Amino acid sequence: MTPQFGVYLFAMSVVASAMGGTLGMAGGIFVVPMLTASGVGIRTAVGASIVSVIACSCGSASPFLRRRLTNTRLAIVLELATTLGALSGVFLADRLPTSALYVLFAGILLLSAQQMMARRKAPSDAGAVAGADADAGADAGGWGATFGLHASYPDPATGVEIPYTVHRVPLAMTLMYGAGLVSALLGIGSGVLKIPAMDTALRLPLKVSSATSNFMIGVTAAASAGAYFVRGDIVPAIAGPVVLGSVVGAILGARILVAVSSARIRVAFVVVLVLLAAQMSLQGFGVHLFGGHA
Amino acid sequence: MSERAPPDDAATRAVERWMASGLWWGTWIGCAVVAVGLALPRGTPVVVAGVGLFIALPILRVGVMLVDFARRRDLRMAAVAALVLTIILAAIALNLRAG
Repeated sequence: MTPQFGVYLFAMSVVASAMGGTLGMAGGIFVVPMLTASGVGIRTAVGASIVSVIACSCGSASPFLRRRLTNTRLAIVLELATTLGALSGVFLADRLPTSALYVLFAGILLLSAQQMMARRKAPSDAGAVAGADADAGADAGGWGATFGLHASYPDPATGVEIPYTVHRVPLAMTLMYGAGLVSALLGIGSGVLKIPAMDTALRLPLKVSSATSNFMIGVTAAASAGAYFVRGDIVPAIAGPVVLGSVVGAILGARILVAVSSARIRVAFVVVLVLLAAQMSLQGFGVHLFGGHA
Repeated sequence: MSERAPPDDAATRAVERWMASGLWWGTWIGCAVVAVGLALPRGTPVVVAGVGLFIALPILRVGVMLVDFARRRDLRMAAVAALVLTIILAAIALNLRAG
């Protein structure tokens, strides 16, 4: 690999990760299609992306932890499911044909586009506060109480403690198993599958949901990245520039997220996601628009 | 199974702050190691070490949580953390053998 290609991978990863960060997503969903469009094989792209997902998760976990938005007890319980899913994904990755990975990735991109258009509601923000008393009885014997997962977080504006209860943990764990599996197969954070688990099943407040999901991504990805690493499936010359670019891009994306109104960006990125889905589908069927594999 | 009150004490916050610092510094040290490896003429082993550090960070975080739960006699959560650590290490060990 030439140094010029390394610089290109770094720059491309900055853009891909910044796009993800601007939308509050992990960058892997943009990094992998952009790598495959650059001629990198999907398995090499997945290996590089999964390490960049860990780096971005670890780097951004710190401020959430300091602001006490992360429910670490809930995270470790859900990681039982995500790491098991990742373990399954690593074994499945060898047995699935490459074309299936491209098509699955295209499906996840379309699902992400659909989720982005629908906009995330915050039923749990209201439900967690107003419905806390009513829900307490319904969840009294559940996993939330058993493992001490119900908690509170300080409102960033007022500092007032806002209590919330954690619902339907077994259902969330089922979804999280799928998220871990897809993460290992495709080298992404799988936010597209975690969001329904966090919002619909657990009914967490959005801030807690985002912080806890981000905290879990690193451990989920470490299970599959560790396996790929010892197998020699992570190519240092590709993974190195991608990791550095992704960390820089995530920082830029987070700043853009704060500075820019998201409505117009959302529509633009939905178009990008649909185009990337079309590209991945074509590659799944053997049509390579941007050159061959590295 | 008995109901457990959500622990949110000073000790929990101290461990979370400790994890926050560890993950933050670990990320930047990992980035520095990878950058140095890429800059060196034959730096591939250095890049590999940086990648290994990134993978180790979340695994160490689970280890810290396991020790913290065990230290506070929160055996149920310690068992959960131990199981997560076992799954991750099993994924690595099984592929080490396969590789």
